[in-house]
Amino acid sequence: MTTCQHGHDSADEDFCQVCGIRIDATALVAGSASGSATTAAGAAETCPACGAERTGQFCEACGLDFQTTEPVPSAPKASPAVPSPRRPQPAWAAVVTADREHYERVRAEGSPEAAKIEFPAYCPVRRFPLSGEEMRIGRRSVSRGLAPEIDLTGPPTDPGVSHLHAVLTPEPDGSWALLDPGSSNGTRINGTEIPAGARIPLLHGDQVCIGAWTTMQILLG
Amino acid sequence: MIADGFTVEVFQNEFLPAGGAEVNAVVTVTSLADSPATAEQPARQQQPGRAEIIIVDCSRSMASPSAKIAAARAATVAAIDVIRDGVAFALVAGTHRARPVWPPDGSLAVASDQARRDAREAAARLAADGGTAIGQWLRLAHTMFTTHPAALRHAILLTDGKNEHEAAADLDAAIDACEGVFSCDCRGVGTDWEVSELRRISARLLGTVDIVPDPAGLAADFAAMMTTAMGKQLGDVALRVWTPQHAMVKFVKQVAPMVEDLSDRAAPQGAQAGDYPTGAWGPGESRDYHVCVQVSPASIGQEMLAARVSLLAGPEVLGQGLVRAIWTDDEALSTRLNSQVAHYTGQAELAQSIQDGLEARKRGDEEVATASLGRAVALAHESGNEDTARLLAKVVEVVDAPTGTVRLKKAVADADEMALDTRSVKTVRTRK
Repeated sequence: MTTCQHGHDSADEDFCQVCGIRIDATALVAGSASGSATTAAGAAETCPACGAERTGQFCEACGLDFQTTEPVPSAPKASPAVPSPRRPQPAWAAVVTADREHYERVRAEGSPEAAKIEFPAYCPVRRFPLSGEEMRIGRRSVSRGLAPEIDLTGPPTDPGVSHLHAVLTPEPDGSWALLDPGSSNGTRINGTEIPAGARIPLLHGDQVCIGAWTTMQILLG
Repeated sequence: MIADGFTVEVFQNEFLPAGGAEVNAVVTVTSLADSPATAEQPARQQQPGRAEIIIVDCSRSMASPSAKIAAARAATVAAIDVIRDGVAFALVAGTHRARPVWPPDGSLAVASDQARRDAREAAARLAADGGTAIGQWLRLAHTMFTTHPAALRHAILLTDGKNEHEAAADLDAAIDACEGVFSCDCRGVGTDWEVSELRRISARLLGTVDIVPDPAGLAADFAAMMTTAMGKQLGDVALRVWTPQHAMVKFVKQVAPMVEDLSDRAAPQGAQAGDYPTGAWGPGESRDYHVCVQVSPASIGQEMLAARVSLLAGPEVLGQGLVRAIWTDDEALSTRLNSQVAHYTGQAELAQSIQDGLEARKRGDEEVATASLGRAVALAHESGNEDTARLLAKVVEVVDAPTGTVRLKKAVADADEMALDTRSVKTVRTRK
């Protein structure tokens, strides 16, 4: 384990596996010195969020930042090393993508509206940092004076997403919860339809599927 | 870098000027002729194996002239003849609906002397009567393929006409459904079919498209296509492009043997990587990809990994190449063009110029048509793409090739125009 000039831990010795910068062999900081959870948790570690093999500071599969995330509960407690002073605050974000699996599932359910919706040929990945007192998910509407914080107006626009589809609100511990106030087509979290009006606390890596093809991944770090 | 019989080579100028953010590279992927991953091994043969479906247009127009349906029958027989023992296969007749011809129950037969004989007899009875709804044909093939566990699924689709008896959206939806399920080579016989329609199918289903202007050429073409399909050994190979944080893939294009933009085909793999489909590979095959990545510039003297390009079959990494970026204040280094990148940028522009030019010509915009096709002639000349130059010369009168001075021909055979259109994406390689 080495550290690049930007402070990223990298298992790759040549290029940082986070930012890609060439790691200068003479400027290396031995990874073990930081005594982070990464080294304390032992060999053959996996990402607590998605289970992918763990190499370096960020999960290669889901992007979880191991430094700012609590270690796996079952793993031995991290050694009482001095916490790094430059440890950043955990930051939550919603990453929105067009999700073909979700799209196929919706289509397979055979609603006539869904059959008319095309999967977008191109959809940029949109990342929304979560902050403030509430984050509304929807599509802006000039006529209704609605400008949701997470505005999914395209192109491409998923017609199955309601103008006000769901709301994210912060929990006391800094994580976020989701509430669907009664959108036309509902919301699924990790494949399960959630009841309207219920506050569902979200965990890192949760998949929130709305509309015909929109999937929002909730990520910490 | 060699791993499992694939080589991945990267050609680029890694030097960028201060603030330079765009990194271009040509990645050459080659499967070695004696590759353990693609070579025929008994162990691999016992795996699910391969399935083939031949879809033949049996619409009424195939009977005028009757040579077309006769050639389609002969071509189908020629393709059946090269299907190897043990391969699952079927024949489908396409009209305004789709009908299994052999086996008649819509299953797939296992190739043997007897099965091929029966299929040949069924092919000889193919008759032309009905409309054209290509989406229906694809959907039947999809249903038939999904009942079979074969790892390599491939179809040949022949048509002579436009998709007239269903909405364009129906065809698009059918293509969506078939993507990733099977690959499909498309052929248009005669000149009454739509190039863009077949190209849409072959592009999404990772196959080829071509015109067979003369029905007499069909049998040889079908046999060749089926022989190529029988040579594929490893299916569903993906090109994974990893990029650093804050970087963005601008495009990923296959550029040899033909231009195919894969940019919007990426399946995201976590936050920093995407898998681009490359389909099935046979031993000795080689393809080039142009990868363009936008990175956030680092300071002079620093080096960054702009992309890690890996070839994957399932979870198995078959090969890997590194695309790098080094920032320098030495202009002699940063302004140098990599010959591969320059060459394929030209080949992609060549294909685009031809398509733009033909489109302009169709709508009667002679000025744009002359300019675009002239540019194409110059590019074809400069890069030594003689096949394309020859096709261009049938559509324009070349006054001076190096400068791209051309005159539009007044009378152009439909077949020549369609041949230029379908084959515009074929590229040539440079010497490395």
